[in-house]
Amino acid sequence: MHKVKASNLTRLIGFVLLGLVLFFVSNRVDELRVYQGASVAMYVVAISSIILLTGYSGQVSLGHGALLAVGGYGAALVRNEFNAPVWLCFAAAVLLAALWGALLGATAARLSGPYLAGTTLALAVGLPSIANQFKFLGGEQGLIFDIGLPPASLGEFFSQYKWFFWIAALTALIAMWWLQNLLRSRYGRTWRAVRSQSVAAELAGINLARSKILAFTVSAGLAGLAGALLSMSISTVSPGAFPLSLSFALATGAVLSGVTTLGGVIIGAVTLVAIPEVADTLTQSIGASENVIANLPGLMVSGLLIVAVLFVPNGPVEQLKHRQKR
Amino acid sequence: MIGKNRRKLITASAVIAAGSMLLAAAPAQALEQGITTSSIKLGITIPMTGIASPGYSKIPGAMKAYFDYVNANGGVNGRKITLVVKDDQYIPTLAVAKANELIFKDKVFALIGTLGTASTKAISRSLQLSARGIPSLFVNTGYSGFADKKLYPTSFSILPSYQMEAKVIGKYLDENFAGKKVGLIYQDDDFGVDALNGFKQAGVDFAVKIPYASGSQGVAGVAGTWITKLQAAAPDVVVLFGVSSATAAALGNAYAYKYAPKWILGSVGGDATTLTANKVPAAFLAGSKGLSFAPAPSDSTDPYIAMFMDVNEKYNKNAPFDNNIVAGMTSAFLAVQAIKAAGPNLTRKSLIAAIEKSSATFANPALTPLGFSSTSHVGATGYWIGTYDATGSLKPDGGKYTVYTTDSGTGAVVVSTYKRPAMPAKGLPN
Repeated sequence: MHKVKASNLTRLIGFVLLGLVLFFVSNRVDELRVYQGASVAMYVVAISSIILLTGYSGQVSLGHGALLAVGGYGAALVRNEFNAPVWLCFAAAVLLAALWGALLGATAARLSGPYLAGTTLALAVGLPSIANQFKFLGGEQGLIFDIGLPPASLGEFFSQYKWFFWIAALTALIAMWWLQNLLRSRYGRTWRAVRSQSVAAELAGINLARSKILAFTVSAGLAGLAGALLSMSISTVSPGAFPLSLSFALATGAVLSGVTTLGGVIIGAVTLVAIPEVADTLTQSIGASENVIANLPGLMVSGLLIVAVLFVPNGPVEQLKHRQKR
Repeated sequence: MIGKNRRKLITASAVIAAGSMLLAAAPAQALEQGITTSSIKLGITIPMTGIASPGYSKIPGAMKAYFDYVNANGGVNGRKITLVVKDDQYIPTLAVAKANELIFKDKVFALIGTLGTASTKAISRSLQLSARGIPSLFVNTGYSGFADKKLYPTSFSILPSYQMEAKVIGKYLDENFAGKKVGLIYQDDDFGVDALNGFKQAGVDFAVKIPYASGSQGVAGVAGTWITKLQAAAPDVVVLFGVSSATAAALGNAYAYKYAPKWILGSVGGDATTLTANKVPAAFLAGSKGLSFAPAPSDSTDPYIAMFMDVNEKYNKNAPFDNNIVAGMTSAFLAVQAIKAAGPNLTRKSLIAAIEKSSATFANPALTPLGFSSTSHVGATGYWIGTYDATGSLKPDGGKYTVYTTDSGTGAVVVSTYKRPAMPAKGLPN
């Protein structure tokens, strides 16, 4: 059978249609779901940032939480100091985090495997506490990141959470559209070449270090964007919002999504948002003790991670494609 | 035929008329979210697991125990109180997500006892508690920012402000250590800034001031440098105005360095169970000064403490009785008292109004006057100063609580003449 390749235009139309569907859905569901939708959008951006780095360029990061923090603080500072519009705050978050990513990437290009994982892990541990050292970052209390009320033209009953969701969903859609275009371009091919066979790639004339640094920079920029979205949804940014467990959750989300392809990113994002609620419902229905209630979400995430690695190491989407080919 | 139809028409009209009269007679206003005629649902999100959970994770259990006790005695205005507990691990993002679940899924009437400044701020802002009119009762943070009624019109804190505490310590220093050299260790953020303002107002002149960045107390060697700095300046008395972990680090290192000035422990870091659990020998703590606004947990002669101990035994599996249990039950008691005062037609608005208007007459365990008013949302307004004994429990000097009271502004620190309203019969608010 002749395989139809989606053209750029049809993909763009696909994204627009998806946006319309989300728009209509957002008008039908309650506030809790809308808020969770905004969280899913945030995770989509954050996880795709890891997939780009790990799946496409072959570098491991366990410290993406730190890059999210850079973005969150960047957005809040620009908002508070210059009263900038939201989109400008997001742009600043992307630029600032990308700059950090470039610096980090320059170091990372010299490291690989466990050494790189260790370095990024140290970053996740250390970076958020830097906020305590500088007064303008607000210490443990953090900074307010208030994007303001939704425009009055949307009506009196338009909730803040729906406004968050619209912004987050639109941002995620644009980021995803841009990213999948990028991955289809020369850069995407270069990254894949470096990941699969770095020696062959080098022989073919690819500058390994430059390619890795670029991947790190782009990935960091996306992480910064996710950080800005996260800070928007809680209206504040503080060191406590970017704990080590966030970095691990993102890495888990990437594995669940299938780390080698962008197609399944929504799976990981929805899972991360759904697990606490599923665990909650479960413990309520069986009336478990407080100890179980507190630890069940973590157990479920870890369990899913093991199951995913055992049965669908490349992610559910890749697995399906593979099966169809056979 | 026509007659039959007409009769049908008349019957139908009569039914409709009667129906609409019934509808009109039904209460004009539906009950607000989280309350029925027989129940009230409250929600708390607090670190039950994770780095900040030790001690604090006992608070919801203590609250529940007191609510269960009230429920077993008929509830409040005929309503029984349930408490939905969520674990936020001291992470603001998670705290917002959990508060969302509490409000939109569990549909609670009000929040109670959220813990941590960053989490409480995030919840208030993101959920827009003020715009939605959702009460946030007795938040577990003393950050003076929550006293700002304009920013947080539906939030109430029960702890006195750090500024009040610093002023009370200043008064104590002036009376007992006049002319002596005084040292200070404080947290270099809003918490410490509040305190410095208070000390300045009290006219305390420190021989040495050591700020620490929040979190740095956990870094190896840092707390040791505090002690060397103190030893160099050789103050006679040192005020430790930090969180529990910093206070424990300072005392632990001082013990190792065999450095023993007179210590004054701020209330935030002064919980003896937490300190002794963090390698501060109770014997080293003995003789130090500490502050509290509630009766000492060891004081079973206090009617509230005796009642709380009893409730703790019957409804809380007799958990080790300490400051955290007292704090949880005090918040629960005050919540019940406020709900009672709001009357049978309970609404979120009427609850807030009741606290603002009549808190002065509320029975409650605090030994200081309650300062809630239409202009202030800060609860307790002062402290008593006591001494840690050889077992590490804080006891009032001379067996008598001398309570100092003041405000967060320029007001003087005076010995309070406040007489706490007698505990209502069986500890049930009336």
